[in-house]
Amino acid sequence: MIEFHNVTKRFEGGYEALSNVSLKLDEGHMAFITGHSGAGKSTLLKIIALIEKPTRGQALLNRVNLNTMPRRRVPYIRRNIGIIFQDHQLLFDRNVFDNVSLPLHIQGYRPQEIAKRTRAALDKVGLLHKEKSLPITLSGGEQQRVGIARAVVHKPMLLLADEPTGNLDPELSREIMQIFVDFNQVGVTVLVASHDLDLIDELDKPRITLNRGKLVLNDLEDIPQEADGGWQ
Amino acid sequence: MAGSNIRRKKLATSNRISAYLLHHLQSLMFSLRKIYAAPATTIMTVAVIGITLSLPGGFYLFLKNIDAISGDFRSSSQISLFLALELSEKQARALDKKISKMELVDSTRFISRDKSLEEFRQDSGFGKSIDTLSSNPLPHTIIVEPGEADTFAVRNLLNSLQAMPEVKIAKLDTEWLERLYTIIEIARRSVVIITVLFSCAVLLIIGNTIRLDIQNRYQEIIVTKLIGATDAFIRRPFLYGGVWYGLLGGIISWLIVEIGYLAISGPLGRLNLLYKSDMNLITFSFHDFIILITSSTLLGLAGSWIAVARHLNQIEPS
Repeated sequence: MIEFHNVTKRFEGGYEALSNVSLKLDEGHMAFITGHSGAGKSTLLKIIALIEKPTRGQALLNRVNLNTMPRRRVPYIRRNIGIIFQDHQLLFDRNVFDNVSLPLHIQGYRPQEIAKRTRAALDKVGLLHKEKSLPITLSGGEQQRVGIARAVVHKPMLLLADEPTGNLDPELSREIMQIFVDFNQVGVTVLVASHDLDLIDELDKPRITLNRGKLVLNDLEDIPQEADGGWQ
Repeated sequence: MAGSNIRRKKLATSNRISAYLLHHLQSLMFSLRKIYAAPATTIMTVAVIGITLSLPGGFYLFLKNIDAISGDFRSSSQISLFLALELSEKQARALDKKISKMELVDSTRFISRDKSLEEFRQDSGFGKSIDTLSSNPLPHTIIVEPGEADTFAVRNLLNSLQAMPEVKIAKLDTEWLERLYTIIEIARRSVVIITVLFSCAVLLIIGNTIRLDIQNRYQEIIVTKLIGATDAFIRRPFLYGGVWYGLLGGIISWLIVEIGYLAISGPLGRLNLLYKSDMNLITFSFHDFIILITSSTLLGLAGSWIAVARHLNQIEPS
């Protein structure tokens, strides 16, 4: 599903967020990315979500090269991905139902289908009774669950989460992580960036650890590291 | 198997088309709801557009009225022939008959010396002093109505009439008419300039409004891009917003002009009475109305398109 071959991301000013990272996450698997803040976790997710492009190396999603993706195809690639942000990125001018159904509108589903799928997604995160509420009236944990419902409503193949439990207490964090595990059990590939090591230990899933942009631990299937600059 | 595949493909295509149309409808309704949700902002923007467009609209209508009035003048331009005094009435009537058969001449009217004097006596109020005259000082007169012809042809006719030995003076009062036409032409070009300038102003107003709208919805644009919205999808509500602004602004400008002309029509009626004239104010025809509304709507679309093209591409998630 995801393949990185010697990916380096250098920002303007010379700061290297990722250095020569190679990894492979198979379809239907779930993994955690850990590391201190600034280790490159977010950058790794952003490359997969086509928000950033690698400076060097090659990033593949479903064998499609993300480096050379033309701009007009980016939206269609993103429709296969569900992204969950630490700060939920909900739209506060509309209610929970409208927030969650947004991806379906974008993909041109029919109204009946939109209602059905949106309610199913809300049901999955236990917020069916809140569909008419405005996000601002919800608690932090509920807002995060709305964010998750929106990320999964269109049944993406891949779920990316960037610090989804960052602002939540341990009990809520555990609930959120359990939702991700549940999705993985029905076949969705899941990649979660988190520094909540205690929680990750409980879940017994492969781990990728980054330190200052370098891969220091990789529980996933190895792919041969090539000489620096082998992939352009 | 292949057949069912094709059928499925067809179904998918028709689904996609209806979904596409549905989104257009949704964008339309969404932009309308937004207008409804922020009436103060919308009313101000639309009022500015309406007032701006009412200027060229009003000038256009003014010009249309002047054109109609001067058209009446054009069709009533006649040549007065004052004949030589020594001509007898019989000779004069023969000349009248001859002229009436000339090319370019629509009709003629003969006024004998005696009749002229009689009319003059009645209308001028100098009756008594005229009675003291020993002989009639007025000549026989022929009023020539040229047929449908341009100024040049009428002028040629005038020259050939003037060349007749029986005709002492041939008079065509077109100079003031030509001056009027020149002034109208200047006014016409001014209207074009005003229209172009004010259209640009509307373009800028709408462009700026949409730009602010884009900035206000920055977060929404980022989020929708992240969940796979195409540029066209994001663009659509803004373009419809511009269309609404243009359409409503056009209707307001039409109302402003109509109300303005209603205000003028009162005194104009009195003026008509005083001059015993029959000037009727022309307002926008249905055709004019459609043109006004269509062009203001297109201006709205163009203005929002400029704003969207300039600002939407710069917004990318990071």
